[in-house]
Amino acid sequence: MAENITKNSSQSSAAAAAGSKGLTPDQFKVIGFTQEEANKIERPTISYWQDAWRRLRKNPVAMGALVVLGLLVIMVIIGPHIRGYDYINMNVVEKNQGPSGKYWFGTDSLGRDLFSRVWVGARASVIIALVATALKMVIGTLYGAAMAHFGGWVDDIMMRIIEVINSLPNLLITILIMMILGNNLFALLVALSITAWCNTARQTRGLIKQLKESEYVYAAEVLGASPMRIIIKHYVPNMISILLLDASTAIPNFIFTEAGLSFLGIGLTSPEISLGVLISQGQQTLDFYPTQLLFPCVVLCVIVMAFNLLGDGLRDALDPKLRK
Amino acid sequence: MAKYIIRRFFEMILTLFIIATATFFLLEAVPGDPLTERAEKLPVEARDALYARYGLDKPVMERYVTQMANMLQGDFGESFVYAGQTVSGLLHDRLPVSARLGIQQMLLGVVVGLLLGILAALKRGTIADYFVVGLSVLLISIPHLVFGLMLQKVFAGTLQLFPTIGWPTGSDLWLGGWEYTVLPTLTGCFSYIATYARLLKSSMLDVVNQDYVLTAESKGLSRATVVRKHILRNSFIPVMTQLPMSVAMCITGSFFIESIFSIPGIGQYYVTAVNNQDLSIVLGLTVLLSLLYIVVLFITDVLYAVVDPRISMPGNSSR
Repeated sequence: MAENITKNSSQSSAAAAAGSKGLTPDQFKVIGFTQEEANKIERPTISYWQDAWRRLRKNPVAMGALVVLGLLVIMVIIGPHIRGYDYINMNVVEKNQGPSGKYWFGTDSLGRDLFSRVWVGARASVIIALVATALKMVIGTLYGAAMAHFGGWVDDIMMRIIEVINSLPNLLITILIMMILGNNLFALLVALSITAWCNTARQTRGLIKQLKESEYVYAAEVLGASPMRIIIKHYVPNMISILLLDASTAIPNFIFTEAGLSFLGIGLTSPEISLGVLISQGQQTLDFYPTQLLFPCVVLCVIVMAFNLLGDGLRDALDPKLRK
Repeated sequence: MAKYIIRRFFEMILTLFIIATATFFLLEAVPGDPLTERAEKLPVEARDALYARYGLDKPVMERYVTQMANMLQGDFGESFVYAGQTVSGLLHDRLPVSARLGIQQMLLGVVVGLLLGILAALKRGTIADYFVVGLSVLLISIPHLVFGLMLQKVFAGTLQLFPTIGWPTGSDLWLGGWEYTVLPTLTGCFSYIATYARLLKSSMLDVVNQDYVLTAESKGLSRATVVRKHILRNSFIPVMTQLPMSVAMCITGSFFIESIFSIPGIGQYYVTAVNNQDLSIVLGLTVLLSLLYIVVLFITDVLYAVVDPRISMPGNSSR
């Protein structure tokens, strides 16, 4: 609107100036131009997300990663059922077989179909990573928001807690928690997310503090927007891209840590199946049957790499600083 | 300045105290104790004597006070599982092993990583750049675990170039037995290479577009001088913030590698102690490793304050 007004006024002042030299406004006529046309935006307006998606689509590496992740999701859902073999009970007759038409990835030291087991393991690993990431994001944002909202001594104390947790080597706490809670899925989730939320909380706190001071939030408050509207319309859109990036880097880390802990015998243990468990079983027969280690390792690497590449692509697509 | 250092020092002491207390009570919460199994078949008198020997017959609070007092005097306790094994003895035997592994990994990884980062940034858009970017994504996506096992299989198993497991001890502790250290060092250094190459590259690309670089170039300085004096110096700031974390992590960060290559380091023993429920060792090692980590961070914070006086100003003090 402001532009319209200045345009109109400049037009009228030009007309006035012309009039003083013996020209009158009716000597001029507008050809093929109306105010509405001037203000019309030819291209459709696109939202931030459409824009980000458009940029992500132009990035072949990120799209490749997205396709691979899509295939992986399909495989972890239907993978174990493709061959239809029993992947839990042992079958001593056909143990330690190499890859073949019957067993695509071969069988393990107890004769179980490795193809099915790898996808069941990948399913467990991905679910663990996703749940741990969700926990991290929820706890982190709530904690960070509380810090930014209350401020003062509450903020100080909550920040000190984060500093204490951060000043411990992460793996040390994770192993300690596993020891206290025992080897089970719940303990693993707690152990993985117990240190991870600190970073999210700090980022959230910083972002909210920055947003609180920003002019457009102030303007929205002055215009009488309700707190709910400010949160939904201003806080969430401004924070979500950074939190999304945080999550996309967290997922591969969780998968990696889970595999490592299970390998050390501190995470999940057999008979549970996860990629870490499979790798640790594969290591025992590494000398004679390397394929038993190879396949879980390759799947693990592909998952982690796909998430990393997608994360890189998302960073480029979502970072407003790179906009041209 | 002095005030800042004193404040950080007391914060460090407080943090350590909290860590020690929290770890102690967390470990108390573990069901059962490591003596249960050993004491099961013993007669009652012997069992009582065993519990008295490790002070487990006393109430929790009393043990807490004794433990804290002992730790203040540098006595971190004795293993419940292996009689005579003390935390200080463990550190004396095993810390140098972990330290050598960590330092070798870090030196190699950081130097190679920085060189690759510089290469990628200066040759932007060329094959060298794509090679470095691809390599770092690859290196960051393959977990230590997988790398270690693959290297072990190929170079130690199939090609027999290096020993599979083991670590130099005795007089070779620091400078001998290089063939044992090659594979573990390689395994660990890859993540440093990836991290530092990416970090330095992105930071250099930020700096290259700055006005002062344009100024320096338009003054007619040679490319080498511009790169060395203007671009590199300024793009090292993110590296300098990452480096202390790496130094602090380098000793405790090799749990997986020590386990794969059966290296008798502190991380491997920590995992063993956890699996054995050896509470006193776990407590002692947790506190000591945290101490090490915190002290390194403290020293770097102080160094930062010396290098950049703005850091100790109020408002900027929280990291």
